[in-house]
Amino acid sequence: MPNPTLPRERTAYSAIVDRPPLKLPGGARLVFWTIVNLEVWDIGKPMARQVLPAPTGQPMLPDVPNWSWHEYGMRVGVWRFFDLFRRLSIRPTLSINARVCEDYVRVAQEAKDAGWEFMGHSYEQGPIHKEADQAAMIARAMGILEKFTGKRPVGWLGPGLTETYETPELLAAAGVKYIGDWVYDDEPTTIETANGPLVTLPYSVELNDIPMMIVQHHESDYLSKRAIDQFDRLYAEGAQRAKILALAIHPYISGQPHRIKYLEQIYDYVAGHDGVLHWNGEQILDWYLAQTNTAIRAE
Amino acid sequence: MNDAAKRPAVGMLPTERIDYSPIAGRKVPKLPGGGRMLVWCIVNVEEWDILSPMPRTVLTPPAGGAPSPDIPNWAWHEYGNRVGFWRMLKVFDEFKVPVTLAINGSAIAAYPQIVQAANERNWEFIGHGFTQRNMQKVEDERADIRRTREVITRVSGKPPRGWLGPGLTETWETPDLLAEEGYDYVCDWVLDDQPVWLKTRTRPILNIPYTQECNDVAMMLIQHHTAAEYFERARDQFEQIYQDAADGARVMALVQHPYIVGAPHRLKYLRQAIATMAARKDVLFWTGAQIVDWFMQE
Repeated sequence: MPNPTLPRERTAYSAIVDRPPLKLPGGARLVFWTIVNLEVWDIGKPMARQVLPAPTGQPMLPDVPNWSWHEYGMRVGVWRFFDLFRRLSIRPTLSINARVCEDYVRVAQEAKDAGWEFMGHSYEQGPIHKEADQAAMIARAMGILEKFTGKRPVGWLGPGLTETYETPELLAAAGVKYIGDWVYDDEPTTIETANGPLVTLPYSVELNDIPMMIVQHHESDYLSKRAIDQFDRLYAEGAQRAKILALAIHPYISGQPHRIKYLEQIYDYVAGHDGVLHWNGEQILDWYLAQTNTAIRAE
Repeated sequence: MNDAAKRPAVGMLPTERIDYSPIAGRKVPKLPGGGRMLVWCIVNVEEWDILSPMPRTVLTPPAGGAPSPDIPNWAWHEYGNRVGFWRMLKVFDEFKVPVTLAINGSAIAAYPQIVQAANERNWEFIGHGFTQRNMQKVEDERADIRRTREVITRVSGKPPRGWLGPGLTETWETPDLLAEEGYDYVCDWVLDDQPVWLKTRTRPILNIPYTQECNDVAMMLIQHHTAAEYFERARDQFEQIYQDAADGARVMALVQHPYIVGAPHRLKYLRQAIATMAARKDVLFWTGAQIVDWFMQE
């Protein structure tokens, strides 16, 4: 691609210690941002992830075991999430493949009724580099979510956080206000696109059950151990400047019977602390824009 | 057996640079002030070129492949220089650790704030490739080494005395080139607990003990250990080397990458590791240059 816009051209390097501290309302120290990811894994394509690599090493289609493993999340696992967050009165951000609104209407409806924030996450699961017409896919995905919920999402997360060089332009043109792919900071930042600025929010590849459980193969109890270590440090730093902790989960991973209790433990631990706000992405965006007086919200 | 077919065209075989030598029975200089062993902390600061494949990944793309750009993995690494480094700095300041900074030549231009923080503390700069790339893939290795030396001299006021290959990679002639380009020590030969001499085609060059064991890349990214392993392994390593040092000073390295140990959930284990070692008064925290100067006195 001729003259791609490089990340460095969208935003300069900045050391966190050089920035004026952001302040949360009511003297709060930390924003806890929960993101649930819902996906569609098309049985006709290689599975996005494999918990059981094929015996020959070569994935054969249909990949029944790994498709089923993901499907468990929609049939069973996600209901543990709905129960948990209803009990905690938390409304997570929902990073949702638009095709979920077609193939798993029951699940999408439950999330809508519970007031979760819908965030664009492609049409179906696969790297964005493989999209023949990325602009059309983005329009389709955003359109489906807008029609389903009655409100156009303001946020976007790439499938597997993937982007091409032109993705930020396409997203800004489609009306996206914040993205989660740039996991490079503890704070929101603003990046330039040819179609106006975009805000990046600090999503996480560290507190994320795919890298932890599926790539790094940690034990299930490590979910709470790592999250608590992360929380403790950010909470301590939150005395000086606002901190944001993101926790990214998938129902087919953290919704498993042997993992859900470690997820519950995290929220129990956090509940024992004052000054923690459970916000969704849109709330974080609005707060950040007000803090920095950026006028990219048209309304 | 015909050896000629196996010899590299330039440079030497490792066994031509260094003879086997058992540590038992070796004599090394005494440490000043009743010191028993040395600890050195090496922080690696890299610049990952978005146009090239990422050197490491934390999140593979769904259904595999190697997409370019690789935004998530580029950003994950960038976090270390934006945020992680600055919380590590507090730990080093708390215990007054003089860090040895292994920094890509190109990272020096990209992160002047990190360079400034290092200069304010008189940290030692060592060469670490001009870019983060396997030295065997560099078109002109001598030029890379020389360019790195120039850029470090310019920003720190002193030429670098030491070199660490990116990923500890070398060609057959790297030690020869380093000696010719004015370096006094190299760290890629992780084969001992004490400094050892390597022959080159000109003057010998010293190798001082770096570590693949007490290294956050190996532990967290390759072996996928929990964050606590960083402290537990450092403590176990330290206690053993401290005991072994009864017979003569030894050197222990502890390695940090801001995007790994600088993550919020890992920082406390770095602090615990350093606190444990700093609690003993006969343990000296030195830079690589200090280790070289000590070892070369005789």
